Amino acid sequence: MERQSINKYLNKDKYVLEGKNSPTFMVLDCQNKDTFNIEIKENQKINLLLLNIKENTKFDFNVLANSSLNLKTVLKGEVKSLNINAKVQSNGDMHVYCADFSDGDVNTIVKIDLSEDNTTAMWHLASLSAKNDNKEFDVSLIHNAKNTFGLSDNYGVSKDDARLVFSGISHIKNGAKYSKTRQNAKIMVFDDLSKAIARPILKIDENEIEASHGASVGKINDESMFYLTSRGLTEEQAKELITMGYLKPILVGFEDEEIKEEISSLIEGRM
Amino acid sequence: MSKLVIKDLYASVEGKQILKGINLEINDNEIVALLGPNGHGKSTLLNVIMGHPRYVVDSGSIYLDGKNILEMATDERARAGLFLAMQSPSEVPGVSNSDFLRSAVNARLEKPVSTYKFYKALDSATKQLKMPFDLATRSLNEGFSGGEKKRNEMLQLILLEPKIAMLDEIDSGLDVDAINIVSEVINSEKEKGRGFLIISHYARLYDLINPTRAVVMINGRIVIDSDPSVIKRIDKEGYEFIKTELGIEIAKEEPNMNQTSIGSCDVKVKTE
Repeated sequence: MERQSINKYLNKDKYVLEGKNSPTFMVLDCQNKDTFNIEIKENQKINLLLLNIKENTKFDFNVLANSSLNLKTVLKGEVKSLNINAKVQSNGDMHVYCADFSDGDVNTIVKIDLSEDNTTAMWHLASLSAKNDNKEFDVSLIHNAKNTFGLSDNYGVSKDDARLVFSGISHIKNGAKYSKTRQNAKIMVFDDLSKAIARPILKIDENEIEASHGASVGKINDESMFYLTSRGLTEEQAKELITMGYLKPILVGFEDEEIKEEISSLIEGRM
Repeated sequence: MSKLVIKDLYASVEGKQILKGINLEINDNEIVALLGPNGHGKSTLLNVIMGHPRYVVDSGSIYLDGKNILEMATDERARAGLFLAMQSPSEVPGVSNSDFLRSAVNARLEKPVSTYKFYKALDSATKQLKMPFDLATRSLNEGFSGGEKKRNEMLQLILLEPKIAMLDEIDSGLDVDAINIVSEVINSEKEKGRGFLIISHYARLYDLINPTRAVVMINGRIVIDSDPSVIKRIDKEGYEFIKTELGIEIAKEEPNMNQTSIGSCDVKVKTE
């Protein structure tokens, strides 16, 4: 698909994005810089693909009133640390799809501030931690205003000697009446030495809200394995199918066919 | 011609022997009804044949067409032509039913089935079972009703074309219409030359599929292997006559420990 490159603004301190179409498809190649400050103007609908995020990168997003930012990225190679800070203003929304197939250690900290009324933040993560990877994703959604909606949806697979941690706080602050927040963290542990931790935290300082979380960490249960193998799948095929089931749903967030294919082959490759 | 031959089979679960010398033969084109009171080893027999890891074979043999299946892993047994429709099929979240079915079909083939051919087969099988097509695309058994799960087992049977199919209470939880649909599928699959070993507690299913034989399991052994007329008798009189006529004491099912359930977080994803 066609995306408009916004790299030409690379020299400025702050990128101000506005698009002619609704939505406007944009792409940013991040490989030559490590700090980005991006503002979405009012009344915009921006769909932004971040390419080649390198080691130790930091993003600041500011989504102005009545705007929508749909952000997506595939993490590959060495990433080490990734910081995403975002602020969403009145009636704005922000959706993030992060497919993580990076190698080595990653420490990702995401903080989305729903600073004004009627704002939405939705975070979707699929992460595969393998070999000696040590990965942590700390995703916090801060509800600072009325009628805000937050979803933090995290799926992961930990195999070999790897470690994978999902943490973060969904915080409904005083005054954020009628807000809803939801946290999901599910990690499939494959091997005896793989480690996984899910630490969902809800902080609630207001009434008339809805908040929920679900977390599960575990091995494939014997009954599921028996069921799948009793249909003729080998244990390896059954494991692969289950991994696909954990990680593939992230694909719905990506429009570009070549990126979808890349994600599928990364899942298969790292399995 | 297919033949499953079980000889002097003894098997245990968690140190307790359940099967105590089973001798049984099942041929293709045959529907064998497996009856017996609860807790006497019917489901255990089916699980042992399929190779469930919880069950340990103490002695005896099981051969399918001359091949020793006790030396095979569960998946090899499936590919050799055995199929077990489970009493309570597992839910496997995230795995789409159709991806799973396609992988299972492909596991039996040298060359993967074409997308077109697979969906044509899937479409015709779902129609035969009067299943909404969307069930085929949903997560495997997740959120399926009891009846939907059972139909999904039959869907797999149709697509996987086993030599010998074992059905463990396929009719439990089905309404009258669904029982009719399932029995039609059993009949048409039998016509294709498959053999069946079918556990049910109800004469209704057996009425609709006309078993060729009936076997009755008591105390981990097969005590009757006869024509199907015994099904009607059991339906009318229960198992009492086995004691009076054959002199076999029927062991009472041991009461289970209190079932406890441990609470867990709700992990369903809301899709707003």
